[in-house]
Amino acid sequence: MIQIINGLVYGSFLYVLAVGLVLIFGLRRVTNFAHGGFFMLGAYVSYAAAAWLGFWAGMAASVVVLAFLGVLLDRFVFRPLAREEPIVTLLVTFGLLFVLEDAVRTIWGKDFISVDAPAALAGSVVIFGSQYPVYRLFVIAVAVAVAAALAVWLRSSRIGLYVRASSVDPVTTAMQGVDTDRLSALVVAIGTGLAGLSGTIAGPLMALSPSMGAYIIIDCFIVVVTGGLTSFVGAFVAALVIGQFHNLGLAYVPEVASVIPLLIMGLVLGLRPQGIAGHGK
Amino acid sequence: MESRRAVVLGLSAVAVSTAIATSAWAAKDPLKIGVPTALTGTYAPLGEEVKRVVEFAANEANAAGGVDGRKVEVRFLDTEAKPELARQQAEKLALDGYRILTGTIASSEALAIAPMLNRWNALFVATINKADDITGKQCQPRVFRVNHPDYSDGATVQPWLATRSESKWAIVAADYAWGRNSGESFKKAAAASGKTVVSENYPALGSNDYAAHIQKVIDSGAQGMWVALAGRDAITFARQARQFGLFDKVTTGGVSFTTDGTVKVLGDVVQGIHTIINYSSTLDTPGNTKFVADFAKAHPGDVPTNFQGETYVGMQVIFQAVKKAGSVAPADVANAMSGSTFETILGTQVMRKEDNQLVGPNYFGTVEAVNGRLQPVVKMTVPAKDATPGPDGSCKL
Repeated sequence: MIQIINGLVYGSFLYVLAVGLVLIFGLRRVTNFAHGGFFMLGAYVSYAAAAWLGFWAGMAASVVVLAFLGVLLDRFVFRPLAREEPIVTLLVTFGLLFVLEDAVRTIWGKDFISVDAPAALAGSVVIFGSQYPVYRLFVIAVAVAVAAALAVWLRSSRIGLYVRASSVDPVTTAMQGVDTDRLSALVVAIGTGLAGLSGTIAGPLMALSPSMGAYIIIDCFIVVVTGGLTSFVGAFVAALVIGQFHNLGLAYVPEVASVIPLLIMGLVLGLRPQGIAGHGK
Repeated sequence: MESRRAVVLGLSAVAVSTAIATSAWAAKDPLKIGVPTALTGTYAPLGEEVKRVVEFAANEANAAGGVDGRKVEVRFLDTEAKPELARQQAEKLALDGYRILTGTIASSEALAIAPMLNRWNALFVATINKADDITGKQCQPRVFRVNHPDYSDGATVQPWLATRSESKWAIVAADYAWGRNSGESFKKAAAASGKTVVSENYPALGSNDYAAHIQKVIDSGAQGMWVALAGRDAITFARQARQFGLFDKVTTGGVSFTTDGTVKVLGDVVQGIHTIINYSSTLDTPGNTKFVADFAKAHPGDVPTNFQGETYVGMQVIFQAVKKAGSVAPADVANAMSGSTFETILGTQVMRKEDNQLVGPNYFGTVEAVNGRLQPVVKMTVPAKDATPGPDGSCKL
């Protein structure tokens, strides 16, 4: 049973990171390779701010700084390149990843950094007779909160309606009079802000290093593709399923655990080429 | 007037000695050392440690007039600790004339480079790579190792295990040549001490979440745990294991897990963990005392780490072999290395001609505070004859 919770934690973590990619892809139709870089930068910004202001302020600072960078990313990268072939934007974001890694390496150095969980979440509770870290339960809570907040925003606000419409068909949405450029800046900011949030929650779980984004981004892409590229619900389901099977694989069939996420993606795409909840375009 | 004359004389002396050194260096081929190492990725800080100590050794040698009257030149290329990239980068270095290679981090890198050395007319000195096969089944006449192989760590952990009351042990080791070897060596040591291994876990290099493995160790009922993870993996695992309270539940020992570098990053998280110590800046030999003092002068506030101590020994062996050979041709240097005796910071050591393994003592200790600073502290020294058992016959040179 504890292994199920462990899978839930990893899936939750993947979801918070992956849903930012889904938002950006939905609006801009861009595979943002720099997303892992923003995740990494978010972890460092949060670490630096937390040293002065504590974990929670560090988390807020990371989300705000990364959201601001998202606005810049949209204004100076995505918008000017909107008329170019998608491969151009993809390559630029790939280059941006290296720029972010080098910037962090220059500011914080190459050495690994280890971050403590905040005192309030540092303990453990007994679940099913086993001692379980509170911080890991907090990761699940963050994912649930993000999913709920996104659901409410997308379902009940006018902007949410535009975002959903744009995710299905950005051209028609623009023809209906929606200013997709302004919308896009907001959505990319939320997407990178979520990368900052996931970087923050990764801090007490894994070593901070300039290349830490590379270790997680593949699993993240698998979640997005399996979920259906532009589907928020699809990403949620895919993250939880992949997190679960990945963890159970490590526990019971470690020899093949590393290929399980790929197998799930292959299986889903074989049965439903548009992904779990894609729109079939 | 006197002082002016002294300045003129001094400057003249510097100019003449520089000219002599330069002309001597110009007369002989430089000693070019290629360092394919992990400058990015899971083992990046380890590669950085290697880079700093190789540069230190080269600068030190050049300041003393070079090696065999030759200037020491070094070049570094990033391998990301990936075997295929290591092979490519080593080839690039060798073809550019940097034919004396050293400094790879992962054993799989060394094993990828080794079979190519004859074709490249190069030579490789392992200083960190621990897989037994490097000087065992896959040994090569052009491959030498100055650090301790896994079987040496196994021989070192055995006397410690014999003193422990825990009978059931778990293994958590990296899923590649070194980790697998280390796991096997530990199993042999455990069997020889009457212990049982009840859980074996080999997480992939660069894993993000160790919860599944940690839970398996807890569920196995193990009373002790042996960890062979390094770099980023070591830090991530230790952080998560501490959150699960695993270090309070089981006695933990390891190799390359709680090194000087990881202890500096993790602090209290790894206090009390037992560890193989292949090198320590606190080892009290005249050579080591001088090395530590000189290194601290070059890098104020820093002491050499375990990987830096071992790599410095590698540089000493290369320098002395070049001097003995009077040549930088890899074939000549290899001949001068095989079976020879070297003066290292850890005393006089022999490069065994049967398998090109340097024979030295090994150490075991615990992470403790010394003068308010946590570090691995040596508690037990295993002499060379026990720590580096004779060749098992698997190496045919």
